[in-house]
Amino acid sequence: MKHACRQATMLASESLDRPLTLWERLKLKLHLSMCRNCSNCHDSMQLLHRVQTMMREQESERTRLSDQQRDALRQALAQSIKAANHPQE
Amino acid sequence: MAQPDDPQQWLNAHGDYLYRYAMSRMHDSEIAQDLIQETLLAAWRGYDNFAGQSTIRTWLVGILKHKIIDHIRKEIRGRDLNDVAGSDPTSAYFNQDGSWSESPHAWRDNPEALLNNEQFQQTLQSCVKKLPAKQRVVFQMRDIVGEESEAVCKQCEITTTNLHVLLHRARMALRKCLETHWFGGERSS
Repeated sequence: MKHACRQATMLASESLDRPLTLWERLKLKLHLSMCRNCSNCHDSMQLLHRVQTMMREQESERTRLSDQQRDALRQALAQSIKAANHPQE
Repeated sequence: MAQPDDPQQWLNAHGDYLYRYAMSRMHDSEIAQDLIQETLLAAWRGYDNFAGQSTIRTWLVGILKHKIIDHIRKEIRGRDLNDVAGSDPTSAYFNQDGSWSESPHAWRDNPEALLNNEQFQQTLQSCVKKLPAKQRVVFQMRDIVGEESEAVCKQCEITTTNLHVLLHRARMALRKCLETHWFGGERSS
């Protein structure tokens, strides 16, 4: 059981990526119930994962292309399209 | 075959949406702008592939997502991500006897508050940037772009076991970095 804590953090991380087996779930739950350190680490990983998921889903109206960026994109598109339509020029 | 819509029109109608999508994942306005340019041009060239089964916006976002993954993957081109042998960096968090060398604190912040905290977002980005390349790439694909585990394995040509090893290392390092630079010691339980 020397590496019990490291294994628990491994399971805590893997639980974010795949369903744990029943045995793994029990093992993790038991360890977390006895170990404040791993329990804190587990909660932090869950919190971070949750924040990352919310970041993808949030629709922040404040984030928009600046006029400068829009102009740059417009010009780049126009140039590329022109080059594609008239390859010999 | 239908004539492709003018990419300029796509830019007008969906530019902000695409920019938001790219920014929420890449957090870099220059990179986001480049990716949108690539996306609109790829869409214009490949308009024949647009089956009309989804909306133009959904189709454009699909292309943008591929561009984002390609961009992340560039960093590890030619490198073997399965080579995770050698010393395990997570051993640094534990003593010889297997106990924690430094006790992790309880983080009391709620996700909504962190999400809208500009400073926290910057701290998080700088912690992600500090990760070693292999860890960063799989972490970005899995947790920032939100790809499923199997898709990340395929994109990175990596086994499931090694994906889990790299994600574990990345999350342990991020937790530590954020504890040091954001959650601090004074808020510990």
